[in-house]
Amino acid sequence: MTGKVLVITSGKGGVGKTTTTANIGTALARAGKKVVLIDTDLGLRNLDLLLGLENRIVYTIVDVVEERCKLKQALVKDKKNLDLCLLAAAQTRDKSAITGEQLKKICDELKEENDYIIIDCPAGIEQGFENATTPATEAIVVTTPEMSAVRDADRIIGLLESKEHIESHKLLINRVRPNLIKSNDMMSVDDVQEILSCSIIGVVPEDTGIITSTNKGEPIVNDEKSLAGQAYQNIAKRILGEEVPFLDIDTPQDLVSKIKKFFIDLLAKLGK
Amino acid sequence: MLEENGFVENGFIVNLSNAKNAAEVIYELSTILEMPETKGKKICLKLEDVSLNQSQLLSIKALIESMDCTLNFIDTNSEETKDSADKVGIQIIEFKNEIEVPEIKPDEKDFEVNHSDVLFENNEDHTAFTELATEEGLIEKKTYESLEVEDIIKTESDTEDLSKLTTLYLRQNLRSGQTITYDGHIVLIGDAHPGSEIIARGDISVWGVLGGIAHAGSKGNENAVIRALKLNGIQLRIANCYAKRMDIVNIPYIQRSASYTPEEAKIDNHQIVINTTFENKEK
Repeated sequence: MTGKVLVITSGKGGVGKTTTTANIGTALARAGKKVVLIDTDLGLRNLDLLLGLENRIVYTIVDVVEERCKLKQALVKDKKNLDLCLLAAAQTRDKSAITGEQLKKICDELKEENDYIIIDCPAGIEQGFENATTPATEAIVVTTPEMSAVRDADRIIGLLESKEHIESHKLLINRVRPNLIKSNDMMSVDDVQEILSCSIIGVVPEDTGIITSTNKGEPIVNDEKSLAGQAYQNIAKRILGEEVPFLDIDTPQDLVSKIKKFFIDLLAKLGK
Repeated sequence: MLEENGFVENGFIVNLSNAKNAAEVIYELSTILEMPETKGKKICLKLEDVSLNQSQLLSIKALIESMDCTLNFIDTNSEETKDSADKVGIQIIEFKNEIEVPEIKPDEKDFEVNHSDVLFENNEDHTAFTELATEEGLIEKKTYESLEVEDIIKTESDTEDLSKLTTLYLRQNLRSGQTITYDGHIVLIGDAHPGSEIIARGDISVWGVLGGIAHAGSKGNENAVIRALKLNGIQLRIANCYAKRMDIVNIPYIQRSASYTPEEAKIDNHQIVINTTFENKEK
């Protein structure tokens, strides 16, 4: 088995890299794939908290690199899904504790027994970013429909394009608020796509459920009713090669605007 | 004995010998207790081979009490149920056939349990019961359980007399990512935040909330202890024993409280146990 190595990156902090990693990883594992999540945010680790696995971590990636334990020992199994594992970052060290080559060696070893290795990249474009992207062949760039996040995503895409080993990079637009887009207070998905000219793998709506799920340590994809959870589920399906239409993230409308939308759509169709 | 307790006059035997697991017991019992004639009665449960743990028994007891009944005795063949009933103070009695007591037994067809009605989806999963019973205050909150690590790298045993080790005294808060390692005892006056690490060859004493990882007896001394005003650490390690905080109490923030009960973790029978009561050993 040769697994794929994916890196989830963004440049800007706080746009949802870690949340995306946890949810896509969980969704892929739920689809029956063997998945390893690697947290490369040394010194500022969060992925373990989001998965609710903090209390199970004994060895970290630094222990593996410095040969204090075997790779298998450092893999923390998920509470629910035994096909999902976490390789945690060390909280008491910093980014210089590992190199990209060392991470690549770990990924090569993991590739043999897993379908997907997903790397959670730290914010910034310094060594942490270099480390996280070295082993990857595919990248997902997370951004929000805000000017600052889009600008940073643009920089990141530029850096990714200059790396030959990254075969493809896709855009994930997070924390989209349809209401604000409608009132022209937020960039629309099309706007972002136009600015970045990069294909989109998914659009995730803003969801207050994310806050509770983060605090509980339970990824939101496990909640079938959540809109954000469904969006992540669809992204996982697209990673697996399925064609899934984009989720209608519009909030429920009153009847009048529904009828309006119907006629507008109809006119658009007739116009074609 | 049964008559002395007034059981016969106002009691019912509820025969649930067909129930195979705790979820079925609870399901059947709740349908029986909904009958108006059971109100205010003393219930005697006939359970046969179902094995129930303490929290499940307490949940059943709470269910019976919430329906204005009392649970008097249980009759069971299962050793586990007997053991847990003993611990939570429910009397066990073997019903003799000659006693004439009204008996309620659900019909065979009732046992086709409608699983959407069952309280807990997975019968193997006892955590739901434990969670419920803990929330209801029925069982004492267990905050730590041992963490099994595959081929853990063991340190050699350290037999150094703990009283001969020196002590590092710190007056500060330890923040996430900070590590203190010392070849002796560590006394920290202040909180150790989640994400911090304290590693000591001897004891660790925290005058504050311990929220990070603490490893006492790091060179393998099993007599070392960890003490804190509040033990809230994500993991406690003593020598080669590891304990993780239970998932139920796995909240990422420290709960502030006006008063704390000091807690002490030490190794008892190769497991880490938490004590909140202290005896004077000199006596």
